[in-house]
Order: sequence, then C-alpha cells, then structure tokens
Amino acid sequence: MVLARREHPTRGGQPLAFLVGLIFALVVGALLLWSSGDPVVDTYQRMWERSFGSADVISATFNRAVPLALAGLAVSIAAKMGLWNIGAEGQILFGATAAAGMARIGDSWPGPVLIVAMLLAAAVGGALWALGPALARAEIGVSEIITTLMLNEVALRVIRYLQNGAWKDKEGFGFPQITPRPPQAELGQIWQRAHLGVLIAVGVIMFFAWFMNRSVWGYELRIAGSSAKAATYVGISMRAKIMGVMLLSGAVAGFAGGIELTGTATRLNENISNGFGFAGIIVAALALMRPSGVLLVAVAFGGLQVGGLSIQSLGVSSAVASILQALILFGAIGAAVLSTYQIKLVDRKVAS
Amino acid sequence: MILGSLVITEAAVIGLVVATIQFATLLYLAALGETITERAGVLNLGVEGMMAIGAMAGYVAAVATGSPWIGLLVGGLAAGLLALVHAITAVALGADQVVSGLALTILGLGLANFLGAGYTNDARRALFTNINVPGISDIPWVGETVFSASPVTYVAVALGVLTWFVLSRTSIGLGLRAVGESASTADAAGHGVTAMRMSAVVIGGALAGFSGAYLSLDLVGHWSEGVTAGRGWIAVALVIFGAWKPGRVAAGALLFGFTIALRLRLQPFGISFSPILLSMLPYLLTVGVLVIISYRARNQPAPAPAGLGIAYRREER
Amino acid sequence: MSHPAVELDGIWKRFPGVIANAGANLTVRPGTVHAVLGENGAGKTTLMNCLAGVYLPDEGAVRIDGNEMKFSSPADALAAGVGMVHQEFRLVPTFTVAENVVLGSAPRLISRTEINKSVAELAERFGFSAEPDRPIWQLSMGERQRVEILKALWRDARVLILDEPTAVLTPQEAEDLGRVLRQMVSEGRSVIFISHKLDEVTSFCDEATILRGGATVAASVDIHDVDSADLAELMVGESEKSTEANAERTTGMGDVVLSVDHVSVIDSRGLKAVDDVSIDVRAGEIVGVAGVAGNGQRQLTDAIAGLESCLSGTITLLGDDLTTAPPRARFGAGLAYVPEDRLGVGLAPKLPITENAVMRDYRQMSRGPILLWERAKEFSARLVEAFEVKVGRVEDRLASLSGGNLQRLLLGRELSSSPKVVVASQPTRGLDVHGVAAIQRLLIEQRDQGVGVLMVSEDLDELLVLSDRIVVMSEGRVAGVFDPREATRAEIGAAMAGVS
Repeated sequence: MVLARREHPTRGGQPLAFLVGLIFALVVGALLLWSSGDPVVDTYQRMWERSFGSADVISATFNRAVPLALAGLAVSIAAKMGLWNIGAEGQILFGATAAAGMARIGDSWPGPVLIVAMLLAAAVGGALWALGPALARAEIGVSEIITTLMLNEVALRVIRYLQNGAWKDKEGFGFPQITPRPPQAELGQIWQRAHLGVLIAVGVIMFFAWFMNRSVWGYELRIAGSSAKAATYVGISMRAKIMGVMLLSGAVAGFAGGIELTGTATRLNENISNGFGFAGIIVAALALMRPSGVLLVAVAFGGLQVGGLSIQSLGVSSAVASILQALILFGAIGAAVLSTYQIKLVDRKVAS
Repeated sequence: MILGSLVITEAAVIGLVVATIQFATLLYLAALGETITERAGVLNLGVEGMMAIGAMAGYVAAVATGSPWIGLLVGGLAAGLLALVHAITAVALGADQVVSGLALTILGLGLANFLGAGYTNDARRALFTNINVPGISDIPWVGETVFSASPVTYVAVALGVLTWFVLSRTSIGLGLRAVGESASTADAAGHGVTAMRMSAVVIGGALAGFSGAYLSLDLVGHWSEGVTAGRGWIAVALVIFGAWKPGRVAAGALLFGFTIALRLRLQPFGISFSPILLSMLPYLLTVGVLVIISYRARNQPAPAPAGLGIAYRREER
Repeated sequence: MSHPAVELDGIWKRFPGVIANAGANLTVRPGTVHAVLGENGAGKTTLMNCLAGVYLPDEGAVRIDGNEMKFSSPADALAAGVGMVHQEFRLVPTFTVAENVVLGSAPRLISRTEINKSVAELAERFGFSAEPDRPIWQLSMGERQRVEILKALWRDARVLILDEPTAVLTPQEAEDLGRVLRQMVSEGRSVIFISHKLDEVTSFCDEATILRGGATVAASVDIHDVDSADLAELMVGESEKSTEANAERTTGMGDVVLSVDHVSVIDSRGLKAVDDVSIDVRAGEIVGVAGVAGNGQRQLTDAIAGLESCLSGTITLLGDDLTTAPPRARFGAGLAYVPEDRLGVGLAPKLPITENAVMRDYRQMSRGPILLWERAKEFSARLVEAFEVKVGRVEDRLASLSGGNLQRLLLGRELSSSPKVVVASQPTRGLDVHGVAAIQRLLIEQRDQGVGVLMVSEDLDELLVLSDRIVVMSEGRVAGVFDPREATRAEIGAAMAGVS
C-alpha cells in the first residue's frame, strides 16, 4: 500500500478538511465521553449553548477568540517566510508583562492614554522577546523553532519571579500575586460582553491580510520565503527580512498579551496566556497560514474553549475542549492528505 | 544573587545528590526517548503530553493492581499509543512535524486531565521502593546516593546503555541513524524509512511515558493536573544540549537535574538565591548550546540529524 | 544460449503531466558495458529508475536473467543483484566510507575495525584506493562516486547502473573509472552506462541503446559498427543542430564591458573555489567558460553577480568598480544574470508567474509601500508575449511551466532591462533541442546588439559553436584561453583536466 499523488487535488479544499476534522473530533470525543460515563448529548449541547447559543455567550466567545486570532496571525506572518514562531506563548506573556510594567509607571494617567501606552509597550515587549531568536537566526542560522520554544518557559518564570518579588501585591494577604492593573486601563465593552479588543483584533488582522498581499514588503517576504537564494539574487537582504518578520510576529503576539491585560484580565499572572500561543499555532495551521482564515478558525476555537469551561458544572472535565481542538487538527491533517493523495494497493509479489 | 551564610552539612549534600539523581532520571528517560525519535529524523514536540499520559495511566494502573511495575509498563504503553498518533500524521501522512507535535502535547495533556479527573487527590499509593544494593549501599556517600536509588533509575541507566549500544554497534542502529541523516539514502539501501521512523516515534513515546510514570509512582507519588510542570520541554532541550548522543544527554540530565534539585534544596545550605531565576537556566543554557552548535556548523556537519523535521515520501517528482 | 542479464520490455511510466517512458525496451548481455544514450529528457534516468526499483513501471516487464521481477523498492532490486549509482549520490555525509558501504546489508552486530577491513579489501580487489574510516563530507566528488560503486559491489551486484558518471569527473578520473568497469565485466557482471557524451560511449562501451521521447529508437547497437555521427543522429532525430547556422558574426567587438581582475573566492568549506581568475568580456562578444562541473564556475559567476564576496581582486562593469556592490546595484548598472539554478535562485517555484516576472523590476511598480499589481500584470503579460513563454494564465504557479519556458521567462526578465553584460550559467542545460536553440538564439541576438556575454557551459560543443573565446577553468584557476576556430577538442580537454 502506498500513497500516490493525485493528478488534481480534490476540490473544496481546506474548509472541507476543517469540517471533516470537526466531525472526526466530535465523534471521537463522543466515544471518549461515553466510555467514561459522561452524558454525550448534554455535554455537546451545553458546549454549544454556552458558546454560540445566545448573543451574550457569543460575545464571550469573541473575547476568547481575540488572543487566539492574534497569536494565529503572529504565527502565520512568520510562516509567510517559512519561519516557525513557536514562541507566541512567551511573547504573549512578556507582552503582557511589559504592559503591566507600563501600567505601574502610568497608573495615574487617564484611561485612553494609559491603554494606548500599555498596548504599545506590549507590542514592543513581544518584539523584544522575539529579538534573541531573530538575531540568532539572522546572523548564525540557529533554528528559531527551539529558541522561541525555550523562551516560552523563560517568560513564564519571569512573571513567576515578579509575582514573588518586586511586583508582589502588598495587599494580597501574602499571596504571591501581582498588583492589579489600574481600573481605568480597561477596554470598554462594545457589544454585550465583547470588549473593544475584538474590534481592534479584527482591524489588525484585516490590515495584515491586505498588507501582506499588496505591499512591496509582503511581496519581498514571499520571495524570501520561497527561496533564500532567489531573494539574495534580486537584492533582498535575508537578514533584514528575518529580523523584520520575527520582530513583527513577536510584536503581534505581544500585542495580544496587552489586549488580554486590558480586556479580560484584571492583573498579570502566569495564566494570562492560557496556552493561547500554542493553540494559535494550531489555528494558523488549520487556516493554512492565511490571515482571513485565522479569524474564522479562532472564533471556532474560542467557542470550544468557552464551551469547554461551561461543562464543568455537568461534572465533565473541561479538558474535553483541549482534546477536541487537537483532534480537529489531526482529523483535518488526515483529510487534507487524503484529498491530495490516494491510497494505491500495490502488488508486492516478486515473481522468480 | 545574594549569598548568605554558607552552611554545608553532610545531610544537605547527600539530600542534594539524591534529588539530582531523581530529577536526572525523570529527565533522562524522556530525553532518551526524544533522542531516539530525533535520531530517526522526527521532531516530536509532544513530550510534555506523552509524559502527562504516562503519569496518569501509570498511576491508575499501579493503584488498580498494586504494582508500580505494572504502572510503569502501562504508562509507557499509553504514551507509546499516543505517540502513534504523531507517527501516523507526521510520518505516514507527512504532515508538518512541528504542528503535529504541538497538537500532541495539547491532546496528551487534555486526555490525561480528562481520563485522570477522578484520580486527582486520590490518597492511594503504589510507589517504587529504592533498591539498596547489598553491601555497596552501606558505603558512605556513594552508597547512600548512587547505590540506593529508585529501581527506575537503574532502568534508565540500562536503557541509556542499550540505546547507545544499538545506535552505534548494530545494523538496526546504523539504519536508524541513516534514516535520520538522509532518508532517501537509507531507503535505497533497504531500510524502510516509514516503518523505522514510526517505530522510533512510538519507542520514544514509551520512554516519555516511563518518565511520566516515574513522576507519579516515585518522584511526586501521585497524579494531579499539571504534575508534569513543563518538564517535557526541558527534555526536548536536553536532547539538543546533549548533542543527540545518549551519553552526553545523560550528562546533561545530571546537570539539569542538579539545577532543579538545587532550587528545591537551597534552604539547607543557607543560600538565598532566587530559585525561579535558577529554573530558567536549563532553557537559557540550551539556547546557548544551540548557538554554539550553529556557529561551529559553518565548517563541519552539525550534530543534529540532517533530516530532522523533513518528511519523506519516495515517489516524488 | 543463456538469458540476457537485463531485459526491459515495453516500459511505460507516467507522471502527472509527463510521460517519461513510452514503451521503452532494453536488453543487456552479461559481461558487457552497455550504453543508454539519449538527450536530456529522453527518459534514460526514469527507465533506469524502473530497473533499479526506484519507480514501479505503469506497464511493461522487467526481467533479470530471464526471470520477471516486480521491484517495489531499490532494496528489492539490490537483493536481485541490480545496483544503481545516481547522479545525486545517496551517501550519508556524516557516516564513514565503510558505514556507507555496508549500510543496509551490515552484519547484525557491527565492529568498526572489521567492517573497515572488509571494505578496504573489497576496494583493493577492484583496484580502488579507499580510506574506510574517513567521513564522506571530507571526500571529493570522484572519491564519493567510488564509494557508491563499492556499495553496489559489497552487495555483489551483477548489474551496475551508472547515471552520467563522468559529469563530476576529470578526464583522468573518467579513464580510471573505465578501467574499474572493465575489471567488473571481466568477472561476468554487466554495467549500464547512461550518458550523452558520445566520445566516452565509444571508448568505454560494447553496445548502445538509444532513447528518444521515452521510447527506444535503436536497441543494442554494436558500438564498433557505428561512429559518433550515427549515434548523434539517432539521439536527436530529424532536427539538425540549429546552433551552427546562427554562429556567423554580424558585428565587430567593442570595448571591455566586464573585467574580472585577479579574483579569488572562498567556498563554504573554506577552500579557494576561484583562484586568481582574470577574464575580460568586450561588447559584442561571447566568452565561453568551459570546465568539468565543480571547478569554480558557479562561484565565479556568483561573485560577478554579487551573490558571493571576493577574497581578493576586482570586478569592473563598464569602468565602474563593483567588487563590493550589492546584487541590486550591479543589476542597476547593466548586469543581467542567469544563474545555474534556475528554480530556486533565478525563479521562485512556489510563486505565481507574475510575481516571478517582476522580481527584478517591482521597485519601479510601486507607490510608496504599496505594489501596483495591475502594472505588474501588464509587465508580465508583455514579457510572456515578447519571449514566447507558453503559459496558461500569468496568475498560475510557476511550477506549471516546462523547463524551456522557465528559462525563456528567466532570460526574458533579465534581458528586458536592456543590459550591457549578460552572465549566463548553464543556460541550456536540461532543455530539449528546441529550447536549446531558442536560448542560444537569444544570446546571439544580445551579442549582435553589442552586449558582452559570459557563458558557462559543460557542453563543449555548444561553446565551440557560440563563443568568440573559450576560457577553461580547472580547480578554480584559468587553465587556458582558446580560440574556438583553431583549438581542438583534445587541447581544450587537456586543459579541463588540469594538464598544462
């Protein structure tokens, strides 16, 4: 049995693969729930109702989709040049840390000024967190996959360090937690529970979707991603492009951290990213690294995560949401591969 | 870093060495598995998830049967099965190894938390007891530390030696290394690339599972969410730090294990150094090593398997 | 009478969009060196890959010693005694010679000293010298080829297939190879020798089979019954060699437009790939650079284009010193470059045709940071038309183009800015007869318009016809400069081999 490339890939493409992945995940998820004695229909029904069932919960889903979409965008920007930013998690964390630092400086500033300053600080922080891997890749050719991955764990410990030390809340009854951000540094609500960050994220993604396609910079990035030698040949500096794209990717992820801190969170803590950086990689992969697709997949994943939290009251572990997210990816990979390849049975007999 | 009054007692030093060996065992098993996987040319970033599944399944099986050994085996089996998912998507179907591996971490953590939800805070215990090698374990210092360790530590050492032997002294090992360096070459020479890589991924998963089971059946002694605490990522780092060689990975495991042990056992020495900053060290050291490797790779082949991360399919044109 | 060693009967092999073999036949007698001849794209390599188990033929029979075989992998073929040495060597660079030789058929437990000894013995038997303990990455191409042959001999291959083995060898090394092959066939083994170099075929081989368009046009011709001209005619078919007619000069030469003065370049291993080379190109002349592949030609042209930096020496274009100028500045100063690696250096295979067509000029098609795609599309449509590139739509991916069309697009793009100097590296390699003629015509046109052309080729015949002067490179140095109207192939060949 071998895999042979079809002459023409099956039509329908990635949306279909995503759908197949979703069905695969729901079926396997149902088997899991059933085998451990949990109510299958009730669980799925509850997840749906609490994620897309009403305007109120949809707005919560949107809030949850914001960091997923921005992390997905960050990953897909780097991927345009064939780079893997596995460090979105750490960049979100450090971006949020930078925003929190800005909030400590400007805690008496008026809300809008402080928010803008915090978001800018978050983007700079995210870029800063990507600077090391970017330099190592651009100057020496160190694979960015492992370096960005390692820095995730370091960023986590930076926050842990701060919450046990310099930034520890003095009114926290000795608990190791960081002082809350100033109350005026909160993004206003625009629709139900959805905060302004939703609009900002949509704007940022739409801008990059347009910019990557239409700009000279985006075009040069595509050349560089297609072939480093071709880029050098037409006079594009690979170093500059690697630095630019990694820092931008880090800035976008860091920005997501800033949005979280001014949007849904009230203080900086270790869980402010909640695995958004890793989920963002899955989101970007499912969207085939296209910004527009990232938005849609992020909303679906946001719903899954919000829905997942709601089933705890049924006595079902919220881990179901993680399982479903991973299974969607695996299902979609299978579907995508089978749409470009067909399984051929080969006669292996050797006559002699 | 503030050095207080430095107090060194014998008990504190022995405690530190014992803890170093314990954490080294934990890290080494998982890193050894990842070494085998990567030597075959497959990057599996699912170590954290495989460890979690191994810890959960190992604990459940051990308390059900009362035998930590059965727990260890079941932990390895469960993680091996989970790794099979990566083997299918990333090797057989040729999907991107980075994405598949990260999804495997999410899946493994999710499954462990879901299936093990009823066992969190379970008071039952089925722990390994340390083996005191008769005669030798009474020797001061060495006997008290190295020769009265957990049986899993000895298993880890044995697996390390076995891996080294197979990789460097057998035709299977030669084939596995060839598959990781240049899949088309190995294929042409008659080594089935897909079968070899899938086996390596599953075996690597099983070893990560052993590591997880060691966590829940010895080092920590119970199962709970988040028990792996990012140790899987250190294991991934360790493979690079050890330049993909079982022996050097073992040395790295002792060093990284030492930093963890030091962090947990600083008090007895009267040193006040932020343990959190110390815990960043393995990751930063690995980045440093990676930079040095890449810098040297300008004049000679890098120690990383040349085909690492690259999917292979034969009839491509 | 005994069975033929190899019999391929009516082999068909199709790939998406390409028919590589259309009912090809081949019969090889035991104890002979059998040439498989054909132009690039005639299906030689695919046919041999079917015999060596790399591909499974769609139709047709493979018989070894009279027994029908179905190889589903190269290992199957090896087990049946068929070994192949591919053009791209299949060696593990970090492994030692001995490890590479025994890979796949090693004893279950390996002792380094033992395998080193056995491999050294095997090498000696066939008149090689081998250092079994050296890693492959330290070896020269010729030495690597010997390791490949040893691999097949280690498994006691009865049939050895060599795919264009002399492309990486100096004439001296090629002669050594010939001796080894004679030694092998004297033991009753058979050798299949894929080539398009006729002089080698006539000196090494016993019989020849000629392929054209994926099918056999002449089977098992006795080499002593034919001469090179006959073979050439069989290979190319009806169409005459179009180069000769175009070679007449119509204009005189002008001033020096490109001057390479005592240039040295270090390669990635830290060795001098180009060693003190000086070449002047005048307006309206074609200077040919001949040499065996890997003798510094690539580094020389890359250095002229600014893709490699010079260790020493100067590069002057139209009187301006551009030694340290970035690639873009050189292009702006009137240099066009057709790199050896069309896909991957000259063109980006994953991008659409338009995005490839404007790669040189897109900076003139932008308003601020925004690219004006309408202008880009217009430009590429004009380019495609002017240079007769056959495309579906300009939005299509580049990968949909054939080799000849790719090269036309690339050359067209480079020429569209009216350069003063064209540096073309292997511009006709891998193209069919019509493709070759079209590219050669374009270069001659440029020469006639007063452009200076520096052309690197491994095809000496092509250089002899097109060039006004031929510079031979060997081991990074200029080994001789020849006038193609007076020099003989033998003289140039000696220079290529480094014989002074």
